[in-house]
Amino acid sequence: MAADVHKKKGWEVPNGSLAPGDGQHTERSESPTPGLAQGTEPGAGQEGAMFVHTRSYEDLTSPEDGAAAARSPEERRGEPAEPSSMEQISKDFSELSTQLTGMALDLEEEMRQSKEGKLEPSPQTTRRDSVLSGKEEEDVTMDAWRMHRKHVFVLSEAGKPVYSRYGSEEALSSTMGVMMALVSFLEAEKNAIRSIHADGYKVVFVRRSPLVLVAVARTRQSEQEIAHELLYIYYQILSLLTWTQLNHIFQQKQNYDLRRLLAGSERITDNLLDLMAHDPSFLMGAVRCLPLAASVRDAVSTSLQQAKAKSLVFSILLSGNQLVSLVRKKDQFLHPIDLHLLFNLISSSSSFREGEAWTPICLPKFNSSGFFHAHISYLEQEMDLCLLLVSTDREDFFTVSDCKRRFQERLRRRGVHHALQEALRTPFYSVAQVGIPDLRHFIYKSKSSGLFTSPKIEAPYVREEEKERLLGLYQYLHSRAHNSSRPLKNIYFTGPRENLLAWVTSAFELYICYSPLGTKAGAISAVNKLMKWIRKEEDRLFILTPQTY
Amino acid sequence: MSRKKAARSKGGGAAPSAALPPAAQGPGRAAAAGPRGSATAPELPRNGGAAAGRPSLSSSGEFYDLAFKVMLVGDSGVGKTCLLVRFKDGAFLAGSFISTVGIDFRNKVLTVDGVKVKLQIWDTAGQERFRSVTHAYYRDAHALLLLYDVTNKASFDNIQAWLTEIHEYAQQDVVLMLLGNKVDSAQDRVVKREDGEKLAKEYGVPFMETSAKSGLNVELAFTAIAKELKHRSMKLPNEPKFKLHDYVKKEVRGSGCCRS
Repeated sequence: MAADVHKKKGWEVPNGSLAPGDGQHTERSESPTPGLAQGTEPGAGQEGAMFVHTRSYEDLTSPEDGAAAARSPEERRGEPAEPSSMEQISKDFSELSTQLTGMALDLEEEMRQSKEGKLEPSPQTTRRDSVLSGKEEEDVTMDAWRMHRKHVFVLSEAGKPVYSRYGSEEALSSTMGVMMALVSFLEAEKNAIRSIHADGYKVVFVRRSPLVLVAVARTRQSEQEIAHELLYIYYQILSLLTWTQLNHIFQQKQNYDLRRLLAGSERITDNLLDLMAHDPSFLMGAVRCLPLAASVRDAVSTSLQQAKAKSLVFSILLSGNQLVSLVRKKDQFLHPIDLHLLFNLISSSSSFREGEAWTPICLPKFNSSGFFHAHISYLEQEMDLCLLLVSTDREDFFTVSDCKRRFQERLRRRGVHHALQEALRTPFYSVAQVGIPDLRHFIYKSKSSGLFTSPKIEAPYVREEEKERLLGLYQYLHSRAHNSSRPLKNIYFTGPRENLLAWVTSAFELYICYSPLGTKAGAISAVNKLMKWIRKEEDRLFILTPQTY
Repeated sequence: MSRKKAARSKGGGAAPSAALPPAAQGPGRAAAAGPRGSATAPELPRNGGAAAGRPSLSSSGEFYDLAFKVMLVGDSGVGKTCLLVRFKDGAFLAGSFISTVGIDFRNKVLTVDGVKVKLQIWDTAGQERFRSVTHAYYRDAHALLLLYDVTNKASFDNIQAWLTEIHEYAQQDVVLMLLGNKVDSAQDRVVKREDGEKLAKEYGVPFMETSAKSGLNVELAFTAIAKELKHRSMKLPNEPKFKLHDYVKKEVRGSGCCRS
């Protein structure tokens, strides 16, 4: 149905977000290399991008989500950016009220705390109890339930539970009632509740009529980032129902129990929350590619491109949350968020492993009012290679299924099958390949292509909590770099167990993690070397020539 | 209901060509996609020629003479996917419940009286939000297996609603069979066998109890359907008419100690 596809060129606002127009004059003098103009950085596509142009989650939080969080003034580590339009929003009265409750985030202190009392639950104060009242009626698992680092709740405006990360929604209905009461209480005063900060907890509210999303977290994430995750949950729900349908339902019946329509999707939402805690893709608002020789990738893309059908909009080949190839219809751009939702859908269910699935799916950033129809299948059972064909026509199963067959045939004829299999055996590269001894890990994102690259997380980040801690540090740097009132360009962070450096320009974002014994000068020379290495490897790590049908 | 309305309006005018099978299938394709739209004119008999011709190659590389579409329907969690996996791979999907997303499509070739019959099986998601998708595929189905869970009263109570839906969307001559699944969990059973039989009789539908876990009657359910479809499409002049009801009655096995 062609009506489902709208050209949404309006998204490509040339410079709609916070980042200044060109990187040159905002570079610090001590910057390791001269700023690269956007589009020329390593990893930038040579023939245009394949995604809707996005920089990072500023896109998520503005302008649609205009009320981006403005944190209380914090100690600054870098230079302030140029004043932006977002700062005007901070005049918003509601934000002033949030600032009053804002506790300055001192990471060092927080880290010390978390080290000392890693597994101890924080003392439960009366304040929190009043916020979370109702939990007392919960069953024996109450303590365990409280111990979770992050809770996520979704409720309707009538206060009806829609989703809870942990525990049954029924048992939490009174808690959700309290949440709704808090929201309504402030709204009655023409105000909006955004967050409550107490006792190491952040309670973050995101209001997306007809839903309210609430997170109760004691992670090190900023309020902005937690809100960003809640938005992902909101988009996840839209991808199942469409915005149109969701609104229609609640217009008809305000107290509708949405769980009825979302039945069976809890796993998908749970999986999304798990993924966000482990995968930097969501933080970066970008997509990671499977490292693959350019010639192989080109052959795959061409095969994909040739196996087209009228109703196809996107053909996507992926392997374990990494992109192998993406072919799109001319003038149609996929948003990284939509691609993340597709990745999540596929990784959350093993039911796609066999047979061919055909399912309606809404890509909320592309068009939140209609369904696409996705054909999902694995190329071979033992191979972690999933093909996703997005069609506009519900009736087109057999045509699209035939596209898959044609694609496989072409792949075989081109003889890249073996090379592809070989690449799948090592889906992540080692940081040792870069050849910088002190370098432990890095994340590099090319802004113009919306792609990022990152090596495997290796020792000393072996245990799950260590990996999460590393991601937490990146999250912290990211939140400082993208703070909507005071974005930073360069951050040098010295920690007890590692040193980190963040460098954000209009063309790219780079976060590196290296040995705690390394020096600042060493880090800067590492950045130089790393950038050269990425440039050298870019045709393997990125998709430089995105294809259209 | 409002939801339906919103979803259906997008369905709009569907091109009848949409459901064509891969062109490479040769003569077999006539069987798979008869002309649609005229629900009253039984389309299956036209396929008689398919058997006489060269056998076709299914996408999995197996030859077949006839192809039919079978759809599994019923509430969420009644065991549709498990039934299919038991039939197709002879295994039971133990462990946690994985709900099907949308529609899942698989092929299996059976030999019925020396004729190779390919069943294209549509495994549907039972959840309400997928109804609009499943509706679109009802009318292509040659046979429907309607499942309920004998340990879940609600799934049995919903059978009537499913039958109404089938009546509304499926072809009039669709082969229909009612299955009470999960009879291996005898202690949890809440729907008696007689209740199922009674309901089936009321609607004139063949009925059997199955267990995807133990494999009871699973093969039989699909074979019976394949036999019926095969007989319908290649009616030989001197062959006695195949009676699905009688066949099922004769072949069905009970779940308990007393074999019927």
